[in-house]
Amino acid sequence: MKKIAALLSVFVLCLAMLSGCVTIETGSQTGGNAGSEVKEEPAYLFLDETLGVESYAIGFRIGDDELAETVSGALKALVLDGTYAKIGASYPDIEEYLCLTADGIDADSLPEKGSGDPDYTFKHGFDLDYPPYSYLQDDGSVGGLDVELCQAVCDYLGWGYEAVPFNWDAKDMELNAGSCDCIWSGFTKEGREDDYTWGITYSNNTQGILVAADSGIKTLEDLSGKVVGVQTATSAYDMLQDARADLAGTFADLKVYETYTIAYNDLKAGAIDAIAIDMTAGTFLISNDQK
Amino acid sequence: MTFQTMLASMSAGMLRSLAIFFLTLIFSLPLGMAVMYLRRSKYKVISGITKIYIAIMRGTPLMLQLLMWYFGPFYLFRWSIRGYRFPAIIIGFSMNYAAYFAEIYRSGYEAIPVGQFEAAEVLGYSRSQTFFKIILPQLVKTILPSITNEIITLVKDTSLAFTLAYNEMFSIAKQIASSQTSFVPFIIAGVFYFVMNYVVAFVMERAEKALAYY
Repeated sequence: MKKIAALLSVFVLCLAMLSGCVTIETGSQTGGNAGSEVKEEPAYLFLDETLGVESYAIGFRIGDDELAETVSGALKALVLDGTYAKIGASYPDIEEYLCLTADGIDADSLPEKGSGDPDYTFKHGFDLDYPPYSYLQDDGSVGGLDVELCQAVCDYLGWGYEAVPFNWDAKDMELNAGSCDCIWSGFTKEGREDDYTWGITYSNNTQGILVAADSGIKTLEDLSGKVVGVQTATSAYDMLQDARADLAGTFADLKVYETYTIAYNDLKAGAIDAIAIDMTAGTFLISNDQK
Repeated sequence: MTFQTMLASMSAGMLRSLAIFFLTLIFSLPLGMAVMYLRRSKYKVISGITKIYIAIMRGTPLMLQLLMWYFGPFYLFRWSIRGYRFPAIIIGFSMNYAAYFAEIYRSGYEAIPVGQFEAAEVLGYSRSQTFFKIILPQLVKTILPSITNEIITLVKDTSLAFTLAYNEMFSIAKQIASSQTSFVPFIIAGVFYFVMNYVVAFVMERAEKALAYY
């Protein structure tokens, strides 16, 4: 009898271990029929209605006006010489949101190429988990639109470049302690206008709602009584807490995640109905999943 | 946001942290005993498999284990995991802590001189009587300080539940700190953990004293 009991509990432990061995794939759930030649409808899509628009800019320490001006000026110069558009073109998912154009830029007021102090190293602070603005690329190196733009700015001015990936929760402490010189990582300006010295706004973004295509959710009203996921400390989260709190009030529940990756897995598993996310990050999640 | 508002929204999270804490203890303390029993089994297969279990539970990050307990049923069996979030967290924490507790129990068990077992046998105690009347009281005495250590770690580990979008206290602190550009929520969180652990240490010290009967 004891033997049987022992064997039984070992069996349970085995099961427990086995289920522990599952690998979580962000990989394709649709991958099962990926080989099929017919192009299928996308499994996940954005609602036509959006939550609102925001602008991405470079945040500097309060009082660092000169630095903010130099970096913004260099970025404008990169717009004029075409580098900005070239870097943008390598991120097709977000290219349309880049908002700087040559119109209205006064070439004479910009810093000269190579005019920076060659001994100065510009420390670029960013979240390493915010694709496609700043993230670990397929080859394991640090990359993303913001990283490439910042490197181009440093090259233009003749500065050294130093990547400072930090924990997003500690961004203000990192900046104020001087371990980085700017926050440049898909950083939303709205709602933080007075907290930083702001550099140039180089990209726009739209906050939207991502749902499964077959969920039957078509409008924001359909979200009433549904479970919606959002990443903590993002503009989508702030919007649902503040400007669109009325909408969030109709949800059955608002689940706050540490990262959108987990939220996306939950959406795929059917544990939540929708994700509030900005268009660029959402588009990146979907297209990366279908690779 | 005033200090009171911060405290109010964080105290809801504190209750959720405490829920994980107590439920994990309730399940993992007895489960650890069972794992210890299997680990000491004289059948090589059983003790071997239990060893592997302990190695996996102790050798991989708890955060990863939580992800697997939660998403495992979906990716393995395509089961619906709606509403499974909180159970998955409790299972993940309990299974993990049971492995640690099992090894602590074992250290206490093996510290008991073999003469105790022999004496019990001579006096005609059955195996279960020996365990509950002779061995367990001595075992508990020996292992209490190590258990206190582990429980204190558990208090701080509750913050890992945020991996599965469970809004415990520390995640709320992070949210408030971000939206208010303020350090105060982190200080409140620190005070909470400290007070909580102080209570744990106090209670355990009392327990140790109560058991110091020889």
